[in-house]
Amino acid sequence: MMIINNKRGGDKMLSAYWFAVLLIVAGGIFAMVYVYYGTPYDVRNIETRLLINAVADCLSYDGRINSNLASEGNLIQNTNFLNQCHLIFNSSEWKDEQYYTEVSFYKITDLENSLLTLKKGNNNWVSQCEIQKTETSKNLVQCSTKMFYSLDNSNNQYLIKILGVVRKSEKNVKI
Amino acid sequence: MSVMKNNRGTILIENVVFLILNILFLTILILFLYKQGSGAIVLEQSYAKNIVLLIDAGKPIMEMKLNMEDAINLAEKNGLKREEIVKITGNTVTVKLSSNGGYSYSFFKDVDVTAYPDISTEKNYIININGYK
Repeated sequence: MMIINNKRGGDKMLSAYWFAVLLIVAGGIFAMVYVYYGTPYDVRNIETRLLINAVADCLSYDGRINSNLASEGNLIQNTNFLNQCHLIFNSSEWKDEQYYTEVSFYKITDLENSLLTLKKGNNNWVSQCEIQKTETSKNLVQCSTKMFYSLDNSNNQYLIKILGVVRKSEKNVKI
Repeated sequence: MSVMKNNRGTILIENVVFLILNILFLTILILFLYKQGSGAIVLEQSYAKNIVLLIDAGKPIMEMKLNMEDAINLAEKNGLKREEIVKITGNTVTVKLSSNGGYSYSFFKDVDVTAYPDISTEKNYIININGYK
């Protein structure tokens, strides 16, 4: 009660209270900055799109399917075709491959049954794409799908569906 | 000066000290925020990922110029040469802005890439995609 009655004592108490507020504010700012700058930049969404673009460029050029995949109005069952696409999924910084891509070719008249499927990369990550459809979790892989139409040399139309998957979670998400 | 001698003067000194401490506190806080934003760890990660995305988006016989002024300034302040900042080994890009550490990130294009600092006064880095391996 003495402190309240004494004017100078009241000032001192106000100073202590003020410093306590400053410390709380500082603590909050430090914590926010630590969380903000400690979280890695997530670039996997861009990477999946770039991967799909690279695969699409390899499959089709100028609206025509690569001649190693289509000949005389039919698709060639060249399942290792993606090895010709200059893609490297191994890296010294990862134990396992962190990428996966899958390409499906459909006749324009039958979009249910795939005529040809090409795969490259670590297929363990595909199951996580299914989980992401229902529950978005950044710790999982990033999946993206794109489709485009292309013609073979006999002008048959095909729908080409490309799935791109990038994991690299440890370097893009704070786990 | 008469204020300093009496009781009220003591209160003024206390207030001045209090004000100085507050300013000191705010200065430290602002310096901390600035240091965090322009720190080596943040810039290393940012530039490594930036270069990887440029390579993945690029095509053979492409030359790309990347302005790395803030990174080069920081590296030189930390005693590193410009040539030591970006290293490309296999398909991994490593950006190093201080004597310890560095940040690595890999690209998926199987291309032969070289990176070297621009000889002009502008603080750029040149990334050349020479061709497919």
